[in-house]
Amino acid sequence: MNRIYMALLAVPAVLLFSTQNAYAYLDPGTGSMLLQGLIGGIAGGMFAIRLYWSKLKSRFGRTPASVSTRDGEQAPTDKAR
Amino acid sequence: MTAVEPGSFRDPSGQVFESDGRIFRTITARALADYTFVRDSGVLKRLIDSGRLVASEEVDPSILGNDARGAPIVVEHSRIPFVSYPYEWPFPALKAAALFHLDLQIDLLADGVMMSDASAYNVQFIGPRPVLIDLLSLRRYHEGEYWTGLRQFCEQFLNPLLLRAVLGVPHNQWYRGSLEGIPTAELNRLLPFHKKLSWQVMTYVVLQARLEASANDKGTADAGAIRKKGLTKASLLGILTQLRGWIAKLKPADTGKTVWGDYARNNTYTDAAEEAKCRFIAEFAQAVRPKLLWDLGCNSGNYSAVALGAGAGAAVGFDFDQKALELAFDRAVSEKLNLLPLFQDAANPSPDQGWQQAERRGIQGRRDADGLLALAFEHHLVIGRNVPLDQTIGWLTGLAPRGVIEFVPKDDPTVQRMLALREDIFDGYGVDAFTAALEARARIVRAESIADSGRRLFWYDRS
Repeated sequence: MNRIYMALLAVPAVLLFSTQNAYAYLDPGTGSMLLQGLIGGIAGGMFAIRLYWSKLKSRFGRTPASVSTRDGEQAPTDKAR
Repeated sequence: MTAVEPGSFRDPSGQVFESDGRIFRTITARALADYTFVRDSGVLKRLIDSGRLVASEEVDPSILGNDARGAPIVVEHSRIPFVSYPYEWPFPALKAAALFHLDLQIDLLADGVMMSDASAYNVQFIGPRPVLIDLLSLRRYHEGEYWTGLRQFCEQFLNPLLLRAVLGVPHNQWYRGSLEGIPTAELNRLLPFHKKLSWQVMTYVVLQARLEASANDKGTADAGAIRKKGLTKASLLGILTQLRGWIAKLKPADTGKTVWGDYARNNTYTDAAEEAKCRFIAEFAQAVRPKLLWDLGCNSGNYSAVALGAGAGAAVGFDFDQKALELAFDRAVSEKLNLLPLFQDAANPSPDQGWQQAERRGIQGRRDADGLLALAFEHHLVIGRNVPLDQTIGWLTGLAPRGVIEFVPKDDPTVQRMLALREDIFDGYGVDAFTAALEARARIVRAESIADSGRRLFWYDRS
């Protein structure tokens, strides 16, 4: 199991970016941040491929995938009481 | 009379107040920059116009007097018909709230806005439609930042959904005892090996639980280093869309036929009896026009739908049967009914709990219905749970000033089934005792026997 994690770590998952401290009141938890570091690269790559694929499909006249569209714009607007 | 909403103490960005039935929120100096960014970029208005954020309007801060404590901005929110909690939501409601949260975050990133948390309690329902109630969780996105809310999202949305989707266990009872949600490490312990073989479960449950444990062992020295590395926006969007795709496919692992799921279709009524019952309820709803109707033992929402069609404004349904609640929720969505079906056991209803036992209110404290339906319900308390008939009627009539209660006699097949394996200790149970108990508390506007079933409907009014 640990070997799989090490392999995942070796994936160029984490790009070097400096980030401002987002002074959130919520503790994100070290585990969840480590997880994002591990899976972020793969998830990001897959996201880029899907975006590219949907663009390609829309170029050939098929319905574009919803990756980049805004969802919920058509949501009803009945007001709260 | 102005009172602080006791559940709004966590985030120093502001606080919620209730004053004469109106809802206000302060925005403190520390949250001002983020608020004005979200407001001035037009995001706030767009979310309110599309019904995804509860309506909010800036008002003169002096309206709260000293309670505003110098907050530069105060907004007034419109009221939600009924405040509910994730431990009361049936599976499809929790799933709808989870997808709503993810869609909102994905959408907001295009405008450079990030949500500071992923609290399920910040989502409320108007009918079956989720709406965000906390505008202070919207703030400016900083390039490279991590998704602070991931752990909370997993504990409050994903893990409770997985509990039902993977193991077939409804989340409600555990969640009610564990207000922050289902801890990832505990879910990981419960999952059998073969359920861990899906790569999503492996990633978000097994791996996350391991990383949490190892981080705890090593201390948080690495935390600063991780934070410095940062996460690209594409990676963040990738994680969000991946989770969205997974959750959209989650379904309850079926637990077989449940008690009431088929009841609406295969009940013991004849069509004529059913028709008479619907007519009675429609006439009640037409005459009373309740703004908020409570439907106890709502099953799949049939009678709520009848009442809503006849003039009730909104309905909240309660039932303890998961399958019935799921049917009711799906029906409310597809038929666009202003109905919110919630999990509730009348013999053990949601208590006041959380910090100082005031953070999340019990069902009694949220009772503001002006109409009640309790159809084929009282015998479940009286016969099923041994609650004395008089107490049952007292409790029911206390919930709303007007309503319809159905009496189910002892020779009814459902009661006979309940008594099949036990001693009949209910000597005084009968329509006369029922009528006397009701008349002691309210005026009986109308009573009608339903065809030849022996059941009787009572329309009461104690106002």
